[in-house]
Amino acid sequence: MSNVLTVRGLHKSYGTHTAVAGIDFEVQAGEVFALIGPNGAGKTTTLRIVATLLTSSAGEIVFLDRDHKKEPDFVREKISYLPEEAGAYKDMKGMDYLRFMAGFYARTDSEEKEFVERAAAITELGDRLKTKVGTYSKGMTRKLLLARALMTRPVLAILDEPTSGLDVLNALDVREIVRRYVKEGTSVLLSSHNMLEIEFLSDRVGLIDKGRILDTGTPAELKTKHNAKNLEEVFRSSLR
Amino acid sequence: MKRFKNLLQKELKELVTKQLIISLAFTVLIFNMVGQVSKKEIQKAIGIQTISALDQDGSAGSQALLKSLESARFKIIDQSGKNKDEALAAAKAGDSKLLLVIPAGFGDSLAELRPSEIETYSFMRSFSLIGARGQVVVQSVISALNEALSNNFLAEKLPGIDPAGLKRPIKSRDFVVVRDRTAEGSANMIAGMLSQQSMLIPIVLMMIVIYSSQMVISAVAMEKQNKTLETLLTVPIKRTSIITAKMFAAGFVGLISAGVYMFAFKGFIGGIGDEAASAGAKAGGAALMAKLGLTFDTTGYIILGISLFLAILVALAMAMILGVLAEDFRSAQTMIMPMMFMVMIPYFISLFADINTVSLPVKILIMAIPFSHPFLVSQNIYLGNYGMIAAGLGYMLVVFVILVIYAARIFSTDKILTMKLRFGKKKTQTV
Repeated sequence: MSNVLTVRGLHKSYGTHTAVAGIDFEVQAGEVFALIGPNGAGKTTTLRIVATLLTSSAGEIVFLDRDHKKEPDFVREKISYLPEEAGAYKDMKGMDYLRFMAGFYARTDSEEKEFVERAAAITELGDRLKTKVGTYSKGMTRKLLLARALMTRPVLAILDEPTSGLDVLNALDVREIVRRYVKEGTSVLLSSHNMLEIEFLSDRVGLIDKGRILDTGTPAELKTKHNAKNLEEVFRSSLR
Repeated sequence: MKRFKNLLQKELKELVTKQLIISLAFTVLIFNMVGQVSKKEIQKAIGIQTISALDQDGSAGSQALLKSLESARFKIIDQSGKNKDEALAAAKAGDSKLLLVIPAGFGDSLAELRPSEIETYSFMRSFSLIGARGQVVVQSVISALNEALSNNFLAEKLPGIDPAGLKRPIKSRDFVVVRDRTAEGSANMIAGMLSQQSMLIPIVLMMIVIYSSQMVISAVAMEKQNKTLETLLTVPIKRTSIITAKMFAAGFVGLISAGVYMFAFKGFIGGIGDEAASAGAKAGGAALMAKLGLTFDTTGYIILGISLFLAILVALAMAMILGVLAEDFRSAQTMIMPMMFMVMIPYFISLFADINTVSLPVKILIMAIPFSHPFLVSQNIYLGNYGMIAAGLGYMLVVFVILVIYAARIFSTDKILTMKLRFGKKKTQTV
């Protein structure tokens, strides 16, 4: 399987504080790769660097065989990023928001229409898309944002804590949407500290703590290697 | 271009809200209403005013004084037959602005050319300047009477001598020289007219700078507050396009808002200014200004326009950077303060001092503030200081370019997410 993203020796420091201390991983085409770890482990910083929001202090990222740092415009064309605490413009109607975001990616009006229709289908919000985003519940907003991230069928979707703050049913919906889109060809790099969710959702996992990758592999491989019943036990074992 | 248009439309839609339109319409309405009310009050003050008079003398002299007042558009209510306290009470109870008491012996004193005293009691029912206008007019009538009486006396005692020449043996003819032109007139009058004319520039500038800057700062701060900035920064649109779209939308809406406010303000000032100023004085001043070449031609207006435009661009670029420092909408409101000071400092200094003659450090400070230059443009045009004008325009352009490059740099680097101004801490921190 070819790599969509290859990260080598990635470092990020803010003054004297090191957020990411030299990590390596890759995301293969059509897979869900998850970074799991506690709060402050460096997951969000890594995702922000890959999403071109932050620049790395050192290291190399190759995206679709191109230098990620030198060609951020190319990267932005091919990725979509869903931040953990993302919001949408509250005074816009849901449909207008999707249309506005589609306007950045679509080359033609028909393509824009196609993106918006796809997003509307993902959200399953129906007529509520005709109302203002400010009136949506947290779950509805998250679905809208996830639909925005997936509607263009990006090469790589970067999802930071995609189910954070959602109730059980909304979280299940979001996971199913993610899995469905991977089947349609989108690769996913996501982060979470919910290890049970990751076990269900991801093909491969990178355990991260204090800015370093502790171990990488499929959930099954990691469980066997650490002789553990679940990823939480794997994580505890790899910390020792 | 399609992406830029998409973002620009969104920025404009966010700024042009129902609330903005209602607030602008309301302002125009209120200012016009206040202007109309003021206009009516001024017309009342300039028109026939009611005063009471208690003539305790009843001489030809006192009658002449009252007749003069009548011809100066006063309606006089006669309080004769009352004592002073009764007259005061009656005048106070009515709508008289003032009670004039002419004491007994007034006419005799006049005839003997001894100083005569009259008393005026102004009823201050409000503390507006217009409310006190009645007394000013009475004083000017008395002053005219004094002039006439002393002239009569001098003409009687010293026939063949012009009383005016006797009272003012030294006469001055005043000339004003501006560059290579000379005209007879008062330098005070010229200065007054110029400051009145150029008063509009700082007001326009202040309005536009404040409105546009507030909109840019809020636009960036709202993206942060609504957590939409991160998403916007990862979509395929150039960071410079994000800056330009926000600046363009805020500049456009700011200009329109300022224009509406100026229109409303003009309605308000028009109510006061036009009525209060004498048409004759205006025409005389305008003729003197024209003689001295102190008028704006098309080039002058173009230069002034360019100067204002550059000042607005500087303000927008500055606001963009301040917007990044703001964490949310509330802190964005405080960010506008430094910009307001930067506009107000040159305005107030130019009101009370000549910028060309202040001490060097103050001059450097004023010149370093980009917003000072539009204030100086009109006087530099009048004085033909085109070098100064060019330097001012050049300076503003350089400041704008530097600010835009810096803003673009902030938007293209981590600073857009990490730069914050923390109040109460010593410096801007990068977290």
